[in-house]
Amino acid sequence: MQAAPLPPNEAERLAALYELLILDTPPEERYDKIARFAASEFDVPIVLVSLLDTNRQWFKASVGTDLCETGREHSFCSHVILRDDILVIPDARDDPRFADNPMVVGAPHIRFYAGAPLTTAPGIRLGTLCLIDRRPRTLDALELAILATLRDLVLMEMRRANEAADG
Amino acid sequence: MAEQSKSSTQILLVEPEALLRRTVVMTARSMNLGQVHEAASTDAALRMLRSRTYHGAVIAVECLGSGGGRRYDLSLVDQLRFGDAGKQDIPIAIMADQATPELLNELRDRKISRVILKPFRAKVLLETIASFGAARSA
Repeated sequence: MQAAPLPPNEAERLAALYELLILDTPPEERYDKIARFAASEFDVPIVLVSLLDTNRQWFKASVGTDLCETGREHSFCSHVILRDDILVIPDARDDPRFADNPMVVGAPHIRFYAGAPLTTAPGIRLGTLCLIDRRPRTLDALELAILATLRDLVLMEMRRANEAADG
Repeated sequence: MAEQSKSSTQILLVEPEALLRRTVVMTARSMNLGQVHEAASTDAALRMLRSRTYHGAVIAVECLGSGGGRRYDLSLVDQLRFGDAGKQDIPIAIMADQATPELLNELRDRKISRVILKPFRAKVLLETIASFGAARSA
């Protein structure tokens, strides 16, 4: 397994995440409905709105898991925040970065993963909107565009919540 | 020229569910599939017909009444097909909970291009919109 390196701007990224005051807050319908919509649209069992903290990924919204956080060292999403575009892993068992990942060889038995980075400013990627399936698959151009739109809707909700908090 | 024609295609989308509507509108824009104008209800869409001509429409038809008196509201389809604001030849897709024989019978005379059944997926609506744009560019 290849753990993702820390982004070069990790301190700045974490500062932006903490400034939102979103970590460890209760579930909110504004994010839950996007996660539910994504699960239905893509017919996947697991969808996460995941935010990457220092040592953990914490889920602001989730479908298909009762967990609210997992360790960052095994996180697929930590690979996504190193890039601007969507990361698609058609079959994690065939990918040397993830083939022996505990979440691939054990529960929840991830095979397919697609994560869209939540970019709040150039280079500042706080987490992902990600789709997970237990069977290999891929996304075509239209599906990638839909995932990008849903990611943009999550970002719009984060901005809206932040503006409301600022009064 | 064909690309320009596709991006200038004006599509009317009538769908009460805001998240589905927004997803289709934003993705159509990002994919340059045309300009999708959204309405949450038949009444809102009827008002929009007064100010713009559309090259295609995707319409969630509302079900009125209950039990044996249950029927679909096709007033918007009729306005687009036969009304002053409409262009009789534009492609129209219908979104419906189920394809009842009564609905299919009513749609037969209205030259409906496609009937989309639940569960409604953004991808299916976008493919429909893309096909409208492609037909216009051809």
